[in-house]
Amino acid sequence: MSFKLFFLLLKAAGWTLSISLVSILLGFALAIGLSAVLLSSKRLYRAPAELFISFFRGVPLLVQLLFIYNLLPFIGLNVPSVVAAIIGLTLCTAAYQAENLRGGFESVPRGLIEAADMAGFSVRQIFLRIKVPIAMRLTFPALVNEAIMILKSSSLVSVVGIVEVTKMAQDLASSTYLPIELFSSAALIYLVICWSIALIGRYTERALPGGVK
Amino acid sequence: MKKTTFLKAALGAAMLFSASLSAHAEDVLAKVKAAGTLKVGTETAFAPFDYIDAGEHAGLNVDLFAEIGKELGVKIEWVALPWEGVLPGLEAGKFDVVAGPATITKARLERYRFTVPIAEATVAILKKAGAPISKPEDIAGKAVGVGKATAQLAQLTEFSATLPTKVDIREYPAFNDAYADMAAGRIVAVANSLPNIAFVAKQRNGAFEVVLPPFGKKTYFGFIGTKDADHASLVDAIDAALLKMKADGRMAKLQEKWFGQKFDTPDAVKDPAF
Amino acid sequence: MIFDPNVILKHLPEIIQGTGVTLALWIAGMAFGIALGFLVATTRRYGGKATNVVLAIPVEILRGTPFLVQIFLVYYGGPFAGLSLGPIPCGLICLTVYSAAYYSEVFRAGFAAVPHGHVEAAECLGLSRVQIIRRILLPEMALIVLPPSVNLAVILLKESAVLSIITVPELTTTISAIGSQEYAFLEAIFLLAVIYWAIVEASAKLGRIAEARLSTFRFSAP
Repeated sequence: MSFKLFFLLLKAAGWTLSISLVSILLGFALAIGLSAVLLSSKRLYRAPAELFISFFRGVPLLVQLLFIYNLLPFIGLNVPSVVAAIIGLTLCTAAYQAENLRGGFESVPRGLIEAADMAGFSVRQIFLRIKVPIAMRLTFPALVNEAIMILKSSSLVSVVGIVEVTKMAQDLASSTYLPIELFSSAALIYLVICWSIALIGRYTERALPGGVK
Repeated sequence: MKKTTFLKAALGAAMLFSASLSAHAEDVLAKVKAAGTLKVGTETAFAPFDYIDAGEHAGLNVDLFAEIGKELGVKIEWVALPWEGVLPGLEAGKFDVVAGPATITKARLERYRFTVPIAEATVAILKKAGAPISKPEDIAGKAVGVGKATAQLAQLTEFSATLPTKVDIREYPAFNDAYADMAAGRIVAVANSLPNIAFVAKQRNGAFEVVLPPFGKKTYFGFIGTKDADHASLVDAIDAALLKMKADGRMAKLQEKWFGQKFDTPDAVKDPAF
Repeated sequence: MIFDPNVILKHLPEIIQGTGVTLALWIAGMAFGIALGFLVATTRRYGGKATNVVLAIPVEILRGTPFLVQIFLVYYGGPFAGLSLGPIPCGLICLTVYSAAYYSEVFRAGFAAVPHGHVEAAECLGLSRVQIIRRILLPEMALIVLPPSVNLAVILLKESAVLSIITVPELTTTISAIGSQEYAFLEAIFLLAVIYWAIVEASAKLGRIAEARLSTFRFSAP
């Protein structure tokens, strides 16, 4: 396999990386809002958020992407391929991240909150100084895992017209008849990215408050 | 998650379906010209019409649409999807027209509007070199690959029904996948249109062979647009461009370039054989 | 756009068959995956440091690459290396191996969560290694591994839709073929979403029931 083919794969990896990165960040922002709703005491508020999460965790991403690409135009939202891919991955990861965050906030020990309350912390202070740091610490490993999951899931966005690493490998394999070389190279590119995310995740985790120094 | 929320979800999704898009009548040709780009949906696994040659989008489609773009004074923006997603994408308005090309069939004419035919599409068999197939009927009982959601599949299915033992038809997302699987030995033949398999046989010199005569009825390839009034002017303009290219010899030259021969195609197919 | 339920009714037998193939592949892939994953996890725990490191390599590769790429490599690359599998065996093997990698990690975490003192106490009492696994580790970690196992099961069901790309006649393949054949694209996407969603909700519910049963068992056991 020539260097030129590998270079083409690397170029396509740009799409893999950028779409995944944008989706993870947007998904995290959306997940914060969703988890806040999930933690609400009113059932009326929780129900739509639970429905959203159930749908996006219950339907294969392949189907979700087709849903977004082909159905949104009928309610007047005709988005281009890149946007459809990002919306698909964002909604999917938001559903998983929201559950993760909810779990994190629920696991903050009640005693700590009560102690802070006794010590005269305001509600806002309790949230920012106690709940957020502890929940972040608790949910961070799952967040890193989710980032890896989304990166791998981005291999499916070719169904809405994005030529990322997997699709590029497939296209090249059919014109060069080198499937083993091309798909192994694609796998290698994913491995390097995933392992880098895991590594950065571990270092960041240690740097978080309460981490093992 | 309770049962009621699941029901609500189903209802909500059903409402999404019934919410029909308010028809905003807008002439698509005018829109395309104003934007300066014509969006063309296609599948890039259909050599020699449309494929990726060492990372570059190439084929007859690319050359023909470059000329169409010149005639209309617009740039071409390609959207490549798996074939199964191309026609749904057209209906959802993701692009203005579909390259493909697709075989002009009775069933499709009921739903879509085709452009001037660009090549012959008659279906024949491509076999693995050495496979015991000397005429189309010999595929009876054998594993034969074909593209999903294609007219070639419909014709193969019809042909299979006339044989003493049915053909073991394997449907692939793209014809490329079927060729790859034939090289791998899981299937012994692929049914596809003559221009396609002639090109593949030449490329894989010696590994694959074309079985003549074709088993399918005489059919033609065209580009596809929607039937609605908004798109009429655009498809008319593409038709005019194609006819002009036929008249001045550019079409024949491109056919020579990609197929090594030119096709005697009609200017329109009103009543397809299949 | 009009939603036409007749398309669904007309093709009901095929839809049921496709659902059956998906369920069969999913359950078989998961069952073999759990067995293989458990084997990998126990070998990594008791097989010494070298074995642990050697086994970590395939596990990390399988977890670090998309399922789709793995399928492509085995299905289209396999024949070049003398391994020519049909779509269904290829799909089943890929699903098994992929799930084994993830399940082995679930079990490893489960083993690690059992208090060390319990294992030591059992050792002092003279229990054999097999007895320790069966009597101490497995029951104690059951409740710990159940929620991630159910999550993983759901992820695997969804991943199995990817098998449509190598022509396995499962749910996604069947319904999208019907969609193209009948030009009922939207009905097809809608139906796919609903069926997968229903299976996922049902299995999540089963998981919760199992969890409730297990926890009463755990707290009422002497």
